[in-house]
Amino acid sequence: MSSLPQGESLDRIQCQWCQSMNPTGATACRACGAPLDIRNLVSESGWREAPRIRDMTEIHFNSSTCQVEGDVVPVAEINLGQGDSIFFEHHVMLWKDERVPLSLLPMSGGIARALSGMPFLISVANGPGRIAFSRDATGELVVLPLHPGMELDVREHAFLLCSHQINYSFVRVTGLTNILFGGQGMYMDRFVTTNTPGMLILHGYGNVFERKLALNESIMVEPGAFLYKDSTVTMDVEFQRLGSGFFGGATMSLAKMTGPGRVGIQSMYVHHKTE
Amino acid sequence: MFCTHCGAKIADGANFCVGCGTKVGAPAPPPTQPTPPAQHVEPPPPVPPPVVRPPQPPPPQPPAASAKCVWCGAAVTGADASCPRCGAALRVDRIVTESGWAELPGRKDMAKLQFGKSSCQIEGVYVPVADLNLAPGESVYFTHHVLLWKDTQVQVSTMSMAGAWKRMFAGMPLIMTQACGPGHIAFSRDDPGELIPVPLQPGQTLDVREHLFLAATSNVEYDWFQTGIWFTTQKGNETETHYPLGGFMDRFSAPRTPGLLLLHAAGNVFVRELGPGQTILIKPTALVFKDPAVQMHLHFERPGTVFSGWGTWGNRYIWLRLVGPGRVAVQSVFDRIEGESRNISGFSYATEQVW
Repeated sequence: MSSLPQGESLDRIQCQWCQSMNPTGATACRACGAPLDIRNLVSESGWREAPRIRDMTEIHFNSSTCQVEGDVVPVAEINLGQGDSIFFEHHVMLWKDERVPLSLLPMSGGIARALSGMPFLISVANGPGRIAFSRDATGELVVLPLHPGMELDVREHAFLLCSHQINYSFVRVTGLTNILFGGQGMYMDRFVTTNTPGMLILHGYGNVFERKLALNESIMVEPGAFLYKDSTVTMDVEFQRLGSGFFGGATMSLAKMTGPGRVGIQSMYVHHKTE
Repeated sequence: MFCTHCGAKIADGANFCVGCGTKVGAPAPPPTQPTPPAQHVEPPPPVPPPVVRPPQPPPPQPPAASAKCVWCGAAVTGADASCPRCGAALRVDRIVTESGWAELPGRKDMAKLQFGKSSCQIEGVYVPVADLNLAPGESVYFTHHVLLWKDTQVQVSTMSMAGAWKRMFAGMPLIMTQACGPGHIAFSRDDPGELIPVPLQPGQTLDVREHLFLAATSNVEYDWFQTGIWFTTQKGNETETHYPLGGFMDRFSAPRTPGLLLLHAAGNVFVRELGPGQTILIKPTALVFKDPAVQMHLHFERPGTVFSGWGTWGNRYIWLRLVGPGRVAVQSVFDRIEGESRNISGFSYATEQVW
């Protein structure tokens, strides 16, 4: 997000999705693309639907722009400015200008990641030039501008792209139960902002909902539906024992998310093959 | 009642503001942190003072007879934006194709419907979520792998079901899980499509193709029956039996009190009413539900110029023939019929059309 243009009145409207300030009269947030002129959709239980970004909305970060195109399987088309770069996982690049150079993000822990089936090569595209991304499933692009001091944990393979100011690392999902039954694999991506704001785009399958948990407030979530959380939110897989029937009953694993912080979920999830 | 954060009007008893999501009863937030750049201080967003409105006369009610939900037939008032019983958008024209299929009426995002003392909100458009607010003492049951999230205090337990062996061999869910109020619990299925709330009137019964069921209120009785729709294919010495509809079909009924059934279908859903003796041919895997009075059997169709007998023809069609009276619903996304292109050696009762 670049600094706000000079010479504007102090009357601003705040985007309720990313908290960025926008000039009055703006119809979409500069930083995250959320429509500013329509009501938020919040369920009575407190989940806010991720903003449905209008087709062709333009989002600004640093000296680059991102246009969100399409609505069933949306594409994020980046016009990288000089000196800007973004990084991304394999298999999400849709097209690019020939001259946009690609390189690899240097990372530690590569072998541990490779063994656990995570992409251990993260590619970097350097501006100037255009490059576009999408993931091959019906869903939503979730744009999360990250302000300094934010730490976000993201389910593996959910991130589409991220601007270069953000530090990328990964955290081990701790606890054997969490690994085996959490449905998340062994690692989560962790994005930490440095002193400069940055932008992160995720792809959620189906619809995406977010809610803010207060301190010690908890909610039980299907592990496959987890999409992202603030690093302050703890996640523990719990078993719900369902009776003790003829076949020894059944158990159901649910992730207990405990606040404070944001939790994002998606409505279409990977079914576990544990039956 | 008005939101302390954004000033939007909210219904009495609501837990969250529909405008900004603030918890009702939460203290007014401190002035919003200015976002970078931090050098010039932003004024906090103006919080409009709660507007005190003079009591307004209730909106004029249209004649009760004219207002009926196009989907479930419930009587609705002019004040409702969506049907309180099934969540369908009101004040929209019923969309019916020239051939007579009625499209499942659109649903406003966050549409809310009421059942008993509980309510259900349907959220999202690609893969909608049914978010149930269960009143104390009210409960629902649901199948495996559809629970999306729940409040920590909502208790889940199994519901014992008869016929476990038969169900296990048929690959059907062995157990149904039951959730008891008070609290929130939400369901979704991982296919882009439609969530279909089907209010069941006392005495009403509905046959549903397997694996489309999401959840039902506990007063809805659940049973299943063998479809009796099958064909066998021969490859060398091996005979395989195929069930294009699945071996079993679910049957839901509300014997005494009105109940709510939540189904999920992939793609778009269309429904039509068949008159007595009226027939239609549909792709077997596209069937969503039917009234029990609708009879069904296999139907084969092929060009007459081709060598006769059940050979492997690319241009042979396997249909499900539905005979009225009653409602039938289809979905626009369907699976391939297993064994469709192989040699058919035997089949359940079927009609045939040779062109």
